[in-house]
Amino acid sequence: MTWKSSLLAASLAALGLGAMAGTASAAGPTCSGGVIKVGAVSTITGPADFSEVPKATQAAFDTINAAGGINGCKIDYTIADDKADPAVAAQAARDLIDNKEAVALVGSASLLDCAVNGATYARKDIRSIQGLGVDAACFSSPNIAPVNVGPFTLTTAMGYYATNVLKSKKLCAFFIIIGGTQEAYKKSIEDWEKITGQKIHVLDLTLPFQGDLTPYVIKARDAGCDTVLTNQVEPQVVQLIKTVDAQKITGINWLFLAPGYTEQVAKALADTKQPIYAGTEWEPYTETDSAANADWIASMKKANRPLTAFSQGGYLAAQMFLKVVGSIDGEVTRDSVNAALLKMQPISNPLAGSPYVFGEGRTHSPMRATKVMKLEKGKWMVETADWVHLPDVK
Amino acid sequence: MKRASLRASLALAAALAAGGAAVVGLLPSYWVFLATSVLITGVALQSLGLVAGRTGMIALCQMSFAGVGAWTVGYLNLAEAPGGLTVWILLGGLAAVPFGVAIGLPALRLRGINLAIVTLSFATAFDTILATITYPGQAAFIQVPRPALFDSDGGYFIFVLIVYAVIAVALEFLARSRLGASWLAVRHSERAAAAHGVSIAASKLSAFAISAFIAGISGGLLAGYLGTLVAENFSMMASLSLYAVAVMTGAHFAEGAIIGGILVVMFPEILRRFDLPQDIGNVLFAIGATQALSTGETMSETFRRLCRKLRPARRAKAADAAGSSLPQPAAHAAPVALEIDNLSVRYGSVVALDHVSLKVTAGTVAGLIGPNGAGKSTFIDAVTGFLNAYDGGVKLAGAALEGHSAHQRARAGVRRTWQTNRIAPELTVGGYLNLAAKGLTESEIRAVLHWLDCPDPETPVTTVDAGTRRLLDVAGVVAARPAVVLLDEPAAGQSHEESVRLGQRIAQIPKLFGSAVLLVEHDMDLVRSVCSEITVLDFGKVIASGPPTKVLGEPAVKKAYLGIEEESVAA
Amino acid sequence: MDALLTSAVAGLTAGGTYALLGVCAVFTYRLVSVVNFTGAAIGTAGTFALIALTEAGYPTWPSVFAGILVGTFVGVAIGYVMTRWFAESSASTKAAVTVALLVGLIAVGLRLTGGQHPHVMPELFPGSAFRLAGVEVTIASMLTIGLAVLFTVLSDLFLNRTRVGLHLRALSDRPMAAELLGVKVQLLSLLVWGLTGAFTTFALMIIAPQRSPNFMTLSLLVVPALAAALVGLFRSFWLTLAGGILLGVIEGMASTVDSISQYRSAIPFLVVLAVLLWSQREARWDEAR
Repeated sequence: MTWKSSLLAASLAALGLGAMAGTASAAGPTCSGGVIKVGAVSTITGPADFSEVPKATQAAFDTINAAGGINGCKIDYTIADDKADPAVAAQAARDLIDNKEAVALVGSASLLDCAVNGATYARKDIRSIQGLGVDAACFSSPNIAPVNVGPFTLTTAMGYYATNVLKSKKLCAFFIIIGGTQEAYKKSIEDWEKITGQKIHVLDLTLPFQGDLTPYVIKARDAGCDTVLTNQVEPQVVQLIKTVDAQKITGINWLFLAPGYTEQVAKALADTKQPIYAGTEWEPYTETDSAANADWIASMKKANRPLTAFSQGGYLAAQMFLKVVGSIDGEVTRDSVNAALLKMQPISNPLAGSPYVFGEGRTHSPMRATKVMKLEKGKWMVETADWVHLPDVK
Repeated sequence: MKRASLRASLALAAALAAGGAAVVGLLPSYWVFLATSVLITGVALQSLGLVAGRTGMIALCQMSFAGVGAWTVGYLNLAEAPGGLTVWILLGGLAAVPFGVAIGLPALRLRGINLAIVTLSFATAFDTILATITYPGQAAFIQVPRPALFDSDGGYFIFVLIVYAVIAVALEFLARSRLGASWLAVRHSERAAAAHGVSIAASKLSAFAISAFIAGISGGLLAGYLGTLVAENFSMMASLSLYAVAVMTGAHFAEGAIIGGILVVMFPEILRRFDLPQDIGNVLFAIGATQALSTGETMSETFRRLCRKLRPARRAKAADAAGSSLPQPAAHAAPVALEIDNLSVRYGSVVALDHVSLKVTAGTVAGLIGPNGAGKSTFIDAVTGFLNAYDGGVKLAGAALEGHSAHQRARAGVRRTWQTNRIAPELTVGGYLNLAAKGLTESEIRAVLHWLDCPDPETPVTTVDAGTRRLLDVAGVVAARPAVVLLDEPAAGQSHEESVRLGQRIAQIPKLFGSAVLLVEHDMDLVRSVCSEITVLDFGKVIASGPPTKVLGEPAVKKAYLGIEEESVAA
Repeated sequence: MDALLTSAVAGLTAGGTYALLGVCAVFTYRLVSVVNFTGAAIGTAGTFALIALTEAGYPTWPSVFAGILVGTFVGVAIGYVMTRWFAESSASTKAAVTVALLVGLIAVGLRLTGGQHPHVMPELFPGSAFRLAGVEVTIASMLTIGLAVLFTVLSDLFLNRTRVGLHLRALSDRPMAAELLGVKVQLLSLLVWGLTGAFTTFALMIIAPQRSPNFMTLSLLVVPALAAALVGLFRSFWLTLAGGILLGVIEGMASTVDSISQYRSAIPFLVVLAVLLWSQREARWDEAR
């Protein structure tokens, strides 16, 4: 624990230093009209609701604004809903860029914002600190850098964990492929093969979005998998484990990605005896006593927002943005924010296992560490006290 | 016809050009961006309007076709195919055509609800398949480039506007063409359409193919608009809500497609401005579509009706024949126009026609009479190819017609009219004649209409009374100048004077048009005055044939036909 | 071969659902002559009422009852729209109306239930009935198939053997004529809508735990259900039943063959296409006109 608190102290010191440096040179960020305009494109209505992410960003900005803003500049934050509809998402992005004149996008979380708008962001030269990167394009676009690990890196990390800690010899992966994620998941598994030197036992990319899962769990059993890694999202996680229990299958570890790590899943699966693991994007949000979570919890409590993994993402995106803006000397415009993001040094935050950096590069996926949770009697327990850092691909 | 299409097209092009200039000149970039989206949605709606509005088929997979077009553009971009976006979009449209035809093939047999279910399951299937195929170039962040000339937002808007205008004008011409009329006719009655020599298969398939082509183009336009796409652009729910919008606004009208596009694009905008949740849009579309279906009138139709009210009502006037002449009579050399040899039809154990033979000599009017249920309509159905099976032979000018379908027989020269009104009400009188008789000039159409006291070619069929519609049916058939026309009780429902007048006209048909006539009638006076030969049917058998005076005097005919029941039962 | 059998058995659960929903669709069509695209959405509404109630802490079975009531009510509400404004419309128009209503229902449903978080769906009939070919066949899936068979038998008897059934058939053919004969058309229609609403709700409640309980995915079960109904040509309950189960089994089998597994969802489409082209090969002209 000591290293963690020292890290916290170090980052606090860095913050203080930055603030001091700002006052010392008496420059720091300025703004015309006293506001910095920021936006987010998120899926709020429709098949999914990610509104917790930008709302947490909003809460973090509100805290700063209440304290007088950054160097006197208040942040004017607009959240636009895309209904998981590409046409609406494109409209919303253009509205934020053209009409609202946002300097950057912060805390977006959407099923398709990156895929639909990645090109627009590049064309209009605006950058997005994605609060929760969901689709593959979030990790493969020049103008988007998410603050979360994301399903693809996490897939490799969970496989790495299965091989190294669970000593899995027959790792099977079942993926549900939607919205152009096929190549990304295949690459995740290839990366895992390169890092661990293992071969994937079964790779199935045909999990149905809706439909009966019985044939698939039977397939996993008959293939002799000792560990199954899957990218099922929340409702289907419950469905999968219920199907496994209905088939009375035992002896397989079930590994899920971050969407499986929620209290609803824990509650819905309180009765199961299956060994269930999930990788987190950040410091486990259910660990309310953890020092790493302290600032985030304080901020959410003040804003009366729930403590969820989503709100960690939104909060973290806001913190990163505030630091980057704080480093700007002169007027905060789209150009100056872009320049600051390009030349920024990696910023650490106790919520995340890796430092965040935007920087140059055609793609961005800065976060590469997770903590693994295990489901025990309806409660998520931390399985790895330390971060599982994914080594670079050789 | 041509002139009307030209006029409408010019008006349309002018309106679009004015609107386009206003949008680019006056609106800020964001609104130009939205206006582009309106037009692209408009193109998709036009494609749906063609198959749903004109042919009346419920097609729930329109966005799947658009997806084919969009993905094709993506692949061509990745392969760096020559020609740029314009060519790729066209190729994308063409790539969607086979899919349209594949969906249209079952539509030859399947109608209405069955087709709705087939298209919905196709959309579902396509949805999940597309979802697994990443948009080409997305992983490497390669965008679909816009044409260099139209790269800016305003420029691309102009590009889309040009495409929209071209499609709208092309559809305007199509709608007034014989093919367009055939879609309406098929929608109204497949049999009547086939009786005009319209191939139902070709008509339906062409509708689906053209519709898929346009939908594919809309997908390609979308690819250039957004640079990269996701499967959700083309999901089944997108197809469903597009259908709801098309039903609500009447997408087969040019203004309906635009109104629909505006609704689809502006709803999210308005909702965002009022901070309302985005999903309200779909609920409103559902309510709007239900409302439109319940009144049977789309927004465009309401709009047109209100516009018409403002203008002084045009009275339906009789066709003006000044300066026009009837088409040249067709030369049919064979001495016997139609020869029926031992025709028998069975429905299960019931024998509807029993070894019926008759001849219609070229240049004459023959009559076929008999009491109700004698088998006259069955006879016409069999001869013109509307029955699945019969025994015996039908020869047209010496050539056997067996193995030929209804529309092939019609094209070969056996034409018929119907007892019930089967003229598609959406057509104009002139449009109907154009459908029934290919290749007439406008003045010939006018002359034929005048000859039968029918209204002016521009008159909509809806405003024509039932009696006149029967005359119109006859006008269409004779204008085609086939070898033989089979008139099925043309005088039913006409007053005595009208019927006499009609008789004079029928007697002139062989001379004026070159067609032999087989008249099926109840009106004895008419038959007596017009026909040179008469055949009498009773219970599916020929009981007499010969010249009218002789045949009508035979006791068997009197018994059977003139209603001396007691004696006929005794006999 | 073994793998195929195993996966075929694994597909039974889905098959039972398709069959039951398909039979409900045929029932609706034969009695009120509407091809109902909202069928599954109606049941989904009731199922989510059950979920909401149990999540609020109410006991299971009273909540089931309340959920069925909600499903019945939604069914009657849609039935009211159909009988009030579309009683005399053509079959195509009616189908188009239900398509439009489906779009609206899904939007409202997603709004009320939220798509993201899993709901705790109480398992009404937990446990497995028996083991076949290495697959545990659950009580729930046996129950859906059983329920489908039961509903098939009942519908068959009801329509062909009872006075009310004959009345209802008369009504579906010619509502005006039936009205003249003193049949209370609207009331009977609403009864049919309510009844099918209740049945689909109960069916979806049984299978929801094994599906992801999401308003949209459950509502779209109507696609394979209508495919099954088409197998029965919207006439035969028994063929529909067989068609539904067959669809599920084929889907299950397809999931073992990797090369086609990805295109599994195209199966209803292909089956429907094949069946229709075969069964309608004689039909040359549209109805009567």
